[in-house]
Amino acid sequence: MCYIALVPADGLVSQMRRGALEYCVMALIRDTPRYAYELIEALGKTGLLTTEGTLYPLLSRLRRDGLVKTEWRESTDGPPRRYYELTAEGRRALTAFKNEWTSFRGAVDGILQEGTKS
Amino acid sequence: MTALHADQLIDGYLARLRVAAIDLPSSVREELIEDMRAHIGEARGHEPAETDASVLNILDRLGEPTTIVGDARERLGIRPAEPYRPGLLEIAAVILVPFLWPIGVILLWISPAWNWRDKLIGTLVPPGGYIGLSFILAAATTQVSSCGTIRDQAGHLIQSSCTGSPELPGVLLVPLTILVFGSPLISAAYLAIRLRWRPRPPVAATA
Repeated sequence: MCYIALVPADGLVSQMRRGALEYCVMALIRDTPRYAYELIEALGKTGLLTTEGTLYPLLSRLRRDGLVKTEWRESTDGPPRRYYELTAEGRRALTAFKNEWTSFRGAVDGILQEGTKS
Repeated sequence: MTALHADQLIDGYLARLRVAAIDLPSSVREELIEDMRAHIGEARGHEPAETDASVLNILDRLGEPTTIVGDARERLGIRPAEPYRPGLLEIAAVILVPFLWPIGVILLWISPAWNWRDKLIGTLVPPGGYIGLSFILAAATTQVSSCGTIRDQAGHLIQSSCTGSPELPGVLLVPLTILVFGSPLISAAYLAIRLRWRPRPPVAATA
């Protein structure tokens, strides 16, 4: 009880959102390469990304870890854009996270629902 | 309506970002700034009619530079720069610059605790420390003492002349002597005062 009281709910949600965000980005480029602004538009609709600028360090981290690769492509309405694409290693990491997340979500949902019944 | 101050607003934002990111590794910093520049360009292209307000909204959505840099540090595992704490190296440099100039100067230039100007002052005021001063004074004394006299057969002085610098009046001689002999110590005291705690280069954690 004491431990839970030390972790405010909003801080916990913020940490969870932060941790899940990189996998959401990877999921968005699983099938189609996208450029950063497209990702921001997609994430903006979900409310997962509150500060748009923080996407760039995240993409940089994914690239440095070899989970995504990038390619510059010409744009019809402006300068070239850097497109992000998932690597094979990125795919494995995303699949692993998806399995963990499904299991975690199921466990938490089960307990939360049990708690409301009793 | 047009965005009369768009360029100034964007330049100001990127300048604040650069300041916030000053202790990030240069490759990370430059990439971050270029990403932001590209993002702003892209976002401006999506605005149907650009105004100063729409540019400010783009920058607001992008986020505070300190927040973005803090996030970059955390995501990329870059520890915040720790201040450099002067230690034995600096103490040795301050002591040795006046008395054992060559070694003191090497230590002075190795240490990151002084800036370029302080190092130059420490090196050249006076050049060589007390060792350099002794050489300069020895040379000056030799030059001043080269005096000659002309006497007649009876030994009477006809003409006396000295080559070299003219003698200084007594009023100036004392403070000048103190200044010259004190200058290595003054220089050392200046270096001690100018010791500063500088940020160490950031360290990127290996993932």
